[in-house]
Amino acid sequence: MLVVAWEVVTRGGLVSALFLPPPLDVARTAWELARDGSLWVNLAASLGRVLLGVVTSVPLAVGLGVMVGLNRRVAPVVEPIVGFFNALSGIAWLPLAITWFGLGWTSVTFIMFNTIFFLVFFNTLVGVRSVPRTFENAVRTLGGSRRHVIFQVLIPGALPSIVAGIRLSIGFGWRALIAAEMIATSTGLGFMIFNAANFHQSDAILVGIITIGLLWLATDRLLLQPLERRTIERWGLVSSQS
Amino acid sequence: MVVTWITLLAAGLGAWSVAAATLPLPDYYLPPPTAVLAAFVDLTVKGILPTYVFASLRRILLAAALGLVVGVPAGLLLGMSRRVADFFYPLLNFFQSVSGIAWLPLMLVWFGFGERTILVAVNYTVLFPVIFNALLGVRSLPPLYANALRTLGAGRWRIVRDVVLPGALPSIATGMRLGLAYGWRALIAAEMLVGAHGLGFMIFNAQSFHLTARIMLGMGLIGLLWVVLDYFLLRPLEEATISRWGLVQR
Repeated sequence: MLVVAWEVVTRGGLVSALFLPPPLDVARTAWELARDGSLWVNLAASLGRVLLGVVTSVPLAVGLGVMVGLNRRVAPVVEPIVGFFNALSGIAWLPLAITWFGLGWTSVTFIMFNTIFFLVFFNTLVGVRSVPRTFENAVRTLGGSRRHVIFQVLIPGALPSIVAGIRLSIGFGWRALIAAEMIATSTGLGFMIFNAANFHQSDAILVGIITIGLLWLATDRLLLQPLERRTIERWGLVSSQS
Repeated sequence: MVVTWITLLAAGLGAWSVAAATLPLPDYYLPPPTAVLAAFVDLTVKGILPTYVFASLRRILLAAALGLVVGVPAGLLLGMSRRVADFFYPLLNFFQSVSGIAWLPLMLVWFGFGERTILVAVNYTVLFPVIFNALLGVRSLPPLYANALRTLGAGRWRIVRDVVLPGALPSIATGMRLGLAYGWRALIAAEMLVGAHGLGFMIFNAQSFHLTARIMLGMGLIGLLWVVLDYFLLRPLEEATISRWGLVQR
């Protein structure tokens, strides 16, 4: 229904095609971009960067978060520092990244790493710290070793927070990526739409926007939300109202 | 605790100075902390820094106000009717998942390079998560509560005031936090790309002249301003909602 309204308004000449191209034109452009392969190349570049960011930063962030979270003396000191870098995450690193690494892959990966790493680190740390001590003491009383406590109490207890952190960080990372691609690279969906703006190809921009939106919705719906739900269902015994 | 902090800060600054002095890198790779301080003093005296900080703050606060005044009521209103909510849910979900930065190229075509584009991009980025979460908050309320009140003879307004609003508040707080966090980053990116005042413009511009001290100064301020915003705007909002109406387990 909305698409029909869009079509009528744009065809009727109420809005110039430069401002808002009719949906049929957008569909045709999408088809052309898909056929000559440029859409897929850019899409693959963007997805690859997200994946690279996740693979490099998540394991490190979770590991470090658990280690710091275990230490009751270090954790309260580290938490606000990580919180600060969390506030700084994303695109603010771009100028420094370009200074250090130049334009290209390294800079974008550096930004993605920073964005994802600190968010997941922070959430892991908070997650580990918010596991009620009663649980820890219960396992201890029953003769559990430190390893038992870590692997059977603290990590499972922190999992919902960790997974929530991963989901959130990919959301932030994805947005930072689009912005970074506009400035620092010559591939990717962000570059595609920004470049299209230079040539006033509004239809190509809309193809990019719709692809970006659908891609994120698909990732979130098919991958991240089920992961989060399953973790909470499986390990959701821990109440965070300690 | 305070002693630990001061020691840590001193150690960090010391290590940074030593690294800046000894590493065989060009100066602009890693300027010493003193250079950042000098940049701070220099820009403050010239009056550039206060102007830019003010410009960025004004933009994000404007967007926050719009989110509260327009986004929250709109979300609540749309969420009130099941049919309307079902219609708008996928639409809003799509728009809130496309960041304002993705729209920026199109906005540049629409509004040109200037203040208007930045404002539209940031307001868009803040507004949609707020509307979406307000709608979600209303929709996920069990109908039980409203029915209970209705049975006791409450009118429509009573239900809005005593059930819908308090019930949706935790979700509204989540939406505000997410929206502003996205919005702040979108603002920095928009200032870089559009380039009209603001901290994002400052650090991006400094990069072209290899004024790395300025970049670091800008980054520090961006982080600091968010911490301040978080402390004075978002925390009180969350405390007023989640602790008061502690319906949600977080």
